[in-house]
Amino acid sequence: MKYLFSLLLIASVLVASAQDNNTAGEYKKRVLEHTEIDFLVNYYQQDGENAAVTGGYGTEELQDLSPTIVVAMPLNDDDVLTINANISAYTSASSSNIDPFDGKQPADPFVASSGASKSDVWGNVVGSYSHSSDDRNRLWNANLSVSAEFDYTSFGFGAGRTWLFNEKNTELSLNGNIYLDTWKLLYPIELRPEGGSFQQVVPGYDPSFNEHTSKGRNSYSAGIGLSQILSSRMTGYVSADFILQDGLLATPFHRIYFADKEDYFYENFQLADDIEQLPDSRFKIALGARLNYFVNHRVTLRTFYRYYTDDWGISSHTASLEIPVKITDKFTLYPSYRFYNQTAADYFAPANEHLSTEEYYTSDYDLSKFTANNYGFGVSYTDVFTKGHIWKLGLKSIDAKFHKYDRDSAFSASMFSFGVKFVVD
Amino acid sequence: MKKKIILLAGLGIMLFSSCTVLKEYEKVNINDPDMALADRKIDKFQTTFQSYREAASGANGGKTGGGCGCN
Repeated sequence: MKYLFSLLLIASVLVASAQDNNTAGEYKKRVLEHTEIDFLVNYYQQDGENAAVTGGYGTEELQDLSPTIVVAMPLNDDDVLTINANISAYTSASSSNIDPFDGKQPADPFVASSGASKSDVWGNVVGSYSHSSDDRNRLWNANLSVSAEFDYTSFGFGAGRTWLFNEKNTELSLNGNIYLDTWKLLYPIELRPEGGSFQQVVPGYDPSFNEHTSKGRNSYSAGIGLSQILSSRMTGYVSADFILQDGLLATPFHRIYFADKEDYFYENFQLADDIEQLPDSRFKIALGARLNYFVNHRVTLRTFYRYYTDDWGISSHTASLEIPVKITDKFTLYPSYRFYNQTAADYFAPANEHLSTEEYYTSDYDLSKFTANNYGFGVSYTDVFTKGHIWKLGLKSIDAKFHKYDRDSAFSASMFSFGVKFVVD
Repeated sequence: MKKKIILLAGLGIMLFSSCTVLKEYEKVNINDPDMALADRKIDKFQTTFQSYREAASGANGGKTGGGCGCN
């Protein structure tokens, strides 16, 4: 049913695209005049005390550096090919504690190990193709994506269709995406077959652990969006996404400590009673709305709201406000604030509170109840005439933005993003 | 849940049914880049980070799930 739903949506988009009326002979502006290249880079760091790898308590320290390049190429008047290549290189203290026994120091959930899992690289390439009708009132697009890291690979594809009408005052869009993902099953070291040695050196330690029988995780999403110009100063957008996931939705190296099992330690590290267990399906609904208001030639208000719910018992509200202020014709400052809250998943409990008789359990605080505040400040430089040049690249814009994210639990993060856009002569 | 969906849909219909139709030459303010009904390109990192650290995703033009071992 889910395959049929997603494939029907994608097929309808592609079939509809073949029905464009060609009004040959009329003047039409190119959808994209020149090739555009975006160079983006982001530095992210986080810290917290509730790592899921160590069963809900332990360091969450992580640093990530993500360079990205996005190239948008006009293939002709109507078609644009966009390639997005992204690398994310990270070091993670909590991931390092998949195997905390590096022999260099006593293992401890609040101390990073020097094991193989302390760092990884996630690579991702997305190719998107879009076609616009001659009157620019119809647009379709298709995309393919591949991503991989040491323990996770993903293959995705999707398509979308957009209709503009009402003298381009109204825009309706449909899209569908499918991701076919595969885990490489990596368990906490003490639960692996070779981990049997812990049962020999820790008297009484005998975890009730069964390996996962499935490695796949599939995601199917369908979305609809409607935007409307509401006045000469206001424009709005409502959207809905419906997402179905199935397969291995738990993370294989997230430890669980049960309340009804004795605690066993090796060095300063509590050994796992089991790993996280979650249902093999999840259905999500996200409803979003944007409303932008042009106050004057200097100030704009950009607002966003989202309501989210899923069948794991999580519901969430997200609201954000950004206020771009043009300080000159080229420079814009944009402070922003984002509020987020969520209820806990039915299967969440902190360390040592789950019972071994439960069917599903997790101590991943990303699935707990929390409220988060995000403060951002960005600055943008734009030169629509691309006067500045580096070789054949005309500088169109420079963006820099800083974010600070704080949860009401012991977790905080910050990130700095930088981007430069060039237009090829 | 049903009530919330009906309320949101009703709000959307009310908003969109009360609008006027602008000609292209009247869209100067609407065509300002800051009025785009989408996140800025540089915000893609923030959206990705949120899909890892928060349970909710979707309806924001970003990832809806899949492609990573995230929520």
